[in-house]
Amino acid sequence: MSTLLEVNGLQTYFDTIDGVLKAVDGVTFSLDRGATLGIVGESGSGKSVTALSIMRLIPMPPGRFAGGDIRYEDRSILEMSAAEVRSLRGNNIAMIFQDPMTSLNPVYRVGKQIGESLRLHKGMSRKSADVRAAELLDVVGIPNASQRAKDYPHQFSGGMRQRAMIAMAVACDPDILIADEPTTALDVTIQAQILDLMIELQQEKDTAIIMITHDLGIVADMVDNVMVMYAGRPVEEGTVDQVFYDPKHPYTWGLLDSLPRYDVDDKGRLIPIEGQPPSLIAVPSGCAFHPRCPYARDVCRAEEPKLSNLGDGHVAACHFAGSSGFVRGSTAGGAA
Amino acid sequence: MADQDHRHKIDLEQVAEHVEEQVAYGLEVQGPVRPTRTLWRDTVRRLRKNKLAVAGLIWVSIVLVMAVTADLWVPPLLGDPIALDTTQVSARRLQPPSWEHPFGTDNLGRDVAARVVYGARVSLRVGVLAVSISVVIGLLMGAIAAFYGGLSDTIIMRLADVFFAFPYILFAIAMIALLGPSETNVFIAIGILGWPSIARVFRSSILSVKENEYVDAARALGASDPRILSRHILPNAVAPIIVYGTMSIGGAILSEAALSFLGMGVQPPQPSWGNMLAEARSMMVVAPWIMLWPGLAILTTVLAFVLMGDGLRDALDVKMKE
Amino acid sequence: MLKYVARRILQMIPVFFGVTVILFILRAPGVLPGDPIEMLTGDRVISEVTYNQLVQKHGLDQPLYVQYVTYMKNLFKGDLGLSYKKNRSVTEIFVEKYPYTLRLALAAILIEMIVGLSVGIISAVKRYSFWDVAVTLSTSILVSLPVFWLGMLMQVLFGIYFKRWGLPYLPISGMGNPPDLAHLIMPAITLASVSTAYVARIMRSQMIDVSQQDYIRTAEAKGLKGGAVVRKHALKNALIPVVTFIGIDLGAMLAGAILTETVFNWPGIGYEIYLAITARDWPIVTGGVVIVVIAYMIINLLVDVSYAFLDPRIRYGGEAA
Repeated sequence: MSTLLEVNGLQTYFDTIDGVLKAVDGVTFSLDRGATLGIVGESGSGKSVTALSIMRLIPMPPGRFAGGDIRYEDRSILEMSAAEVRSLRGNNIAMIFQDPMTSLNPVYRVGKQIGESLRLHKGMSRKSADVRAAELLDVVGIPNASQRAKDYPHQFSGGMRQRAMIAMAVACDPDILIADEPTTALDVTIQAQILDLMIELQQEKDTAIIMITHDLGIVADMVDNVMVMYAGRPVEEGTVDQVFYDPKHPYTWGLLDSLPRYDVDDKGRLIPIEGQPPSLIAVPSGCAFHPRCPYARDVCRAEEPKLSNLGDGHVAACHFAGSSGFVRGSTAGGAA
Repeated sequence: MADQDHRHKIDLEQVAEHVEEQVAYGLEVQGPVRPTRTLWRDTVRRLRKNKLAVAGLIWVSIVLVMAVTADLWVPPLLGDPIALDTTQVSARRLQPPSWEHPFGTDNLGRDVAARVVYGARVSLRVGVLAVSISVVIGLLMGAIAAFYGGLSDTIIMRLADVFFAFPYILFAIAMIALLGPSETNVFIAIGILGWPSIARVFRSSILSVKENEYVDAARALGASDPRILSRHILPNAVAPIIVYGTMSIGGAILSEAALSFLGMGVQPPQPSWGNMLAEARSMMVVAPWIMLWPGLAILTTVLAFVLMGDGLRDALDVKMKE
Repeated sequence: MLKYVARRILQMIPVFFGVTVILFILRAPGVLPGDPIEMLTGDRVISEVTYNQLVQKHGLDQPLYVQYVTYMKNLFKGDLGLSYKKNRSVTEIFVEKYPYTLRLALAAILIEMIVGLSVGIISAVKRYSFWDVAVTLSTSILVSLPVFWLGMLMQVLFGIYFKRWGLPYLPISGMGNPPDLAHLIMPAITLASVSTAYVARIMRSQMIDVSQQDYIRTAEAKGLKGGAVVRKHALKNALIPVVTFIGIDLGAMLAGAILTETVFNWPGIGYEIYLAITARDWPIVTGGVVIVVIAYMIINLLVDVSYAFLDPRIRYGGEAA
């Protein structure tokens, strides 16, 4: 597998009246062709801004790229001209948004909206785009697709709209599909169907997927690698197995503890992470997680931890990630 | 009609400030940043916005003070606004602005500045009284419609539709044709014509409050309808009425000016900004400066009320949307 | 869709009857000051026989409800009765005057759409620019100034002073004979002024509102150009409320524009109705208002239909938009 997308030390900032908001501050990852990466974190952790940065859909101003780079097939997306980026969007890199209810334009027929990128990027005629749009709707599992293509979005249910969004995203056979919380707004029963559909399409076309979610359960089922983000920074990256079965960062522990588990015989108790995510304008000193971390010590307040390599590509940004005595549930906190 | 109709409709501009904030903060930062934002950013914004509202308030206060105290300083300083000295008229008529007559004199030799100041009395009186009438009727109708619903709601809202279907100025003129042209009848007519908008605003705010659980709770505790209305609903519906009322005063002043301009309002020789403009129209060619002042007076005063209304809307966070 | 239109028409019927009934009550003897026959004859002394003949001619001897039924019957035949003063049929008078009002209204609506929409869109696209601030300021001023004063200011500047200064000037009164564009310019601008300001404001806030919507981001994510996003995805959505406003405004303008017509001596129906009110020529007033209300309702219906055209959520009666 070859590297398709490389994000290196990305910093996306927003200039606000109150100061500089560091929505993404030093995100690094790479994505291979056909691979699936999960980006996990609470809302406000910078996941969506990371995705929008890859698409260069950050409104500027107030947003700006303060540092780092995003390379697609070894070309810097950040240095591309507006026209070059546009030819990438929807064509090579496509995106599925969180809320299918509001992400489709209410005044245009669903088929037309799907066909729009085909006409734009593939130069299809109105007619062949219509035909292809109906085929795509069929592919994503809309019954009676050629009829339904003539419907308006409000005539679709939530799940159908998200299928339509997926059809729209895969219309041009993109190399990378970015899905920003694609199932959050849907019923639980529909969620699984949508995820299955994405996996199916991925296997068929060898598409790489970036799955953005706050739900570790989704990640566990479908991704190869995971990046956990907190306050705009990656705190732990690794394969699913590494992050799930051998997590090294206290924040990841917290996320896992707040997740209902069936495979581990716990006391059946969910443990929420105390406190609120920090303001991205006044990020806490040192490790951004220290005010909420039950294991925090003085060094956590003073020094920002670097991502340390734990072997086999598993990295974590915690001062104690490599320490042998530092394990989940230990009350080794210096403050205690 | 067409030219004046919208003044009695709600300012449709929707101030989607939360959206502006979202842009300013990027797309994903709704939750966590909020505490710092409300403290600081809102204060900054409100202060900036209020500058215009404060300017409006200052101007309305100046006009009000000048109008109220007019008897004390206008006649000695500028001359009588109404009585004419027939022996001297020809010498004094249609003078351009000067130190003695800062706004010039009219065709009967009267000081235009003096007449503008006295005209302010009419405008403010009519504006406030007309809106008071609209608010009283509107609140009553809106409350009945929203609170009792059903048939009374249908009848009242259909009646409001009938009022809206009539061209506004025509309706006012017809009423004054019935009652006879006078200042009192002008504010009565404008007041009566204004109730449907107030009733609609009030009705919808009651309906939105009514859905709230605390109203159900009060009812479950056995509170009577009038008590629920006065204790629980009115305080919550009052903000839009204040905002709408303030803006309506500006609208009423414009309507009075229009009616007096058409000769259906305040009658000469008593000065009103509207009838001064009607008189100035016949002297447009020889003395164009006369029409400048009453018009400017209307513009600045109405603008001041509109700005005050805008400021109140922002400060009270009222969403004006039909 | 048809059901929707039918429902809207049904809703209009009570309003229409309400309006006509109110008008009729206003006409009842004793409600209005003055006896209509005296209005009719002025100061001339007439015999009782003549008086009774006149009463019969105008149907004033009948009970009020009979008068109403007769009036409504005639109305559906297009007969609005006789003027008290002009000795002409009211229908004839309005058939003559209506085209003038229509001419002025259409010119004003055109200005309102072209200027209002484009100013609003540019303001929204260049938000917070100098242009945007200037637009916000000038629209606030426009909605606060009396239109008849604006008309007078233009007359003085472009009519009187431009003529004095030897510049090309505009006629300040009438429609011209034959009617020409030069006579139309100032009345149309005057009539359009306030509404243009409102259209610009609404369009601006709508565009800003719409451009924050998720589907705009979807369109951008497809790789559409910024201009195409605005044109294809933002505009149509933003237009929906603006179309409503412009339509209602057209309805109001078709009712004539008393103030503008008075300032520019424009012989439209607004001025005609105003004169009839002051002269207490009630058949003209009643007939005029009935015409105006009908025009107003038809326009409102057309607005609703066009609204449904722009917004499929209404057309297909799905969820309430």
